Amino acid sequence: MEKTKLKNWLFGFMFTVILATSNAWSAQDEKNNPGFAWKDGAEIYAKICAYCHEAQVGPQIRNRDLPAAYIRAVVRNGNRAMPAFRPSEIDDESLVKLADFISKKEAQH
Amino acid sequence: MTSQYIALPKGVSEKNFDAAIRDFRKVLGDAAVLTSAEQLAPYIKTMMPVSDADHTPSAALLATTVEQIQKIVAICNQYKVPVWMISTGKNLGYGSAAPAERGQVVLDLKRMNRILEVDKDLAFALVEPGVTYQQLYDYIKEHKLGLWLSMPAPSAIAGPVGNTLDRGVGYTPYGEHFLFACGMEVVLANGEVLRTGMGSVPNSNTWQVFKWGYGPYLDGIFTQSNYGIVTKFGFWLMPEPPAFKPFVIQYQHEEDIVEIVETIRPLRISGVIPNAVVIAHALYEAPVKAKRSDYVSGPGSIPDEAVYRIMKDHKLGIWNVYAALYGTQEQIDVNWNIVTQAFTQSGKAKIMTEQEAGDDPAFAYRAKLMRGEMTLTEFSLYNWRGGGGSMWFAPVSQARGSETLKQMALTKQILAKYGLDYSGEFIVGMRDMHHIVDVLYDKTDPEQTKAAYQCFEELLTEFSARGYGTYRVNTAFMDKVAETYGPVQRNVHKILKKALDPNGILAPGKSGIR
Ligand SMILES: Cc1cc2nc3c(=O)[nH]c(=O)nc-3n(C[C@H](O)[C@H](O)[C@H](O)COP(=O)(O)OP(=O)(O)OC[C@H]3O[C@@H](n4cnc5c(N)ncnc54)[C@H](O)[C@@H]3O)c2cc1C
Repeated sequence: MEKTKLKNWLFGFMFTVILATSNAWSAQDEKNNPGFAWKDGAEIYAKICAYCHEAQVGPQIRNRDLPAAYIRAVVRNGNRAMPAFRPSEIDDESLVKLADFISKKEAQH
Repeated sequence: MTSQYIALPKGVSEKNFDAAIRDFRKVLGDAAVLTSAEQLAPYIKTMMPVSDADHTPSAALLATTVEQIQKIVAICNQYKVPVWMISTGKNLGYGSAAPAERGQVVLDLKRMNRILEVDKDLAFALVEPGVTYQQLYDYIKEHKLGLWLSMPAPSAIAGPVGNTLDRGVGYTPYGEHFLFACGMEVVLANGEVLRTGMGSVPNSNTWQVFKWGYGPYLDGIFTQSNYGIVTKFGFWLMPEPPAFKPFVIQYQHEEDIVEIVETIRPLRISGVIPNAVVIAHALYEAPVKAKRSDYVSGPGSIPDEAVYRIMKDHKLGIWNVYAALYGTQEQIDVNWNIVTQAFTQSGKAKIMTEQEAGDDPAFAYRAKLMRGEMTLTEFSLYNWRGGGGSMWFAPVSQARGSETLKQMALTKQILAKYGLDYSGEFIVGMRDMHHIVDVLYDKTDPEQTKAAYQCFEELLTEFSARGYGTYRVNTAFMDKVAETYGPVQRNVHKILKKALDPNGILAPGKSGIR
């Protein structure tokens, strides 16, 4: 990159930092709002999986003794019609809880 | 030499890519920079009839703040590394979460998932890209805000930012989503942060209530485009109406699409029917209730005779018109009279409300979509052929009966040539209809996959030859569709690209723009 261009970039960056703090939604506001995180496996199941797997769209998956590792692999890779789910959607820790929720018998919850 | 990466961006050496990755890690931390095959698996699966290798990313970056994104674009400029932006990343049938070109780095904004504001009185929301419809739905319920969402059929797992940026649609009166967008924050390729419209005025409180701002209106150039990274997005919500009346009108013959569209157009344009309507073919609705293998076996498209049997067995019309009335009971009663009078004239229509059709699974999920309730029932489409292959063919038609019939007949004929079924619908309405056809095929069958590719290519060629343009397309066919809009538009897109992103670091190839 030529020198003048580089200067423009730098100028751009400094300018933005100033702008971002003077507007209605500032970086500070964002820090005070932590965003969304899953509570537990049951919540993920109800808010993603159940819409297909409890609605005759996808197969039943609960109470089938499906191994947790298999469930985790299908979630991450998808399977034919089933979309894959990224760690940004269901983080690794939550996925462990979800797989646990699905593979355990209903009575165990 | 074997690479430590599963793919590399076009024209970037491994040494330079390594340096870029090192810098990304400094900004985001190791855990938010994904490069291994296992970590990238969910970014690779698509439903398109091309090799997944063509769309394999080199890495994925999980950013959470605007400042991080500013630093990311600086690194991209330095090393000429391209990023492919996704918000909720569920662009299924249009390319999913995979990049347009092999080796692009996915910039995954799903973790930027803050609902920044929902104003009950002015009925608007301001959200980050990773917010899903489900999350917003729960927030509105929890805070008893009395507002309704409009969302596409993958509702719960998709989100307003990605959907609207790709100019997607829903099924309520706010169903043409970009019409209801109001104000964006965009990180430009040079790291500057633009707030469109009134958002550019310091301390403005009208960013989400007045769309146009001052001077040329810019929001449009950030949709279906690669001119910026949208980091905040405002849009309007519909106040919950006191009453809601969904209904379905069934017809028995394919030619009846003419009468349907001629009847519905004046009702849509005058606002008697306020929502984005659906005129769904029997084969679009059938998968909710029927199995293809119960009616046909072997290769080839499903014969009409089998479709008629499905209709009879499962109480479907060949066309199924879903629409709804919204407002006070008095308003609904008046408009219901107008609707029923219009549709009963020819004696061909069978009109049903919740009373007669409430238990029908197709009606139930359509009614949910028309009131902004979460459902994924439409995914049953993928059980029709099995094997997870799907592309949306989405030409635009005039809302004129003769035109919709022409488009349907042509689509069906081309699909049949390749042994594929017409799973189509006409949606949204007013002056246009989005003609939406799910080109379903078995991606585990190489022959059918090849046929699907050729079929899609022929659909685009034949439609554009007749002056029919496509409103949106999967990432394997973006250049082909861009061609159909001619050299002048392509050149303007290119000039804008050069001006806003001279190093071509943002989603090269999106909508055929590089
Ligand atoms: C069964 C089924 C039914 C469907 N029905 C509908 C329907 O009714 N209506 C409809 O519209 N679609 C429908 N779709 C298609 C698709 O799933 C939806 O449109 C979905 O909303 C898109 O995914 P998303 O919202 O996660 O957006 P994303 O995948 O996050 O984004 C879509 C695109 O927008 C661009 N983009 C995203 N974020 C940014 C950003 N921050 N900055 C710049 N550019 C960005 C990118 O090009 C990206 O590829 C359907 C799909 C299926 C499988």
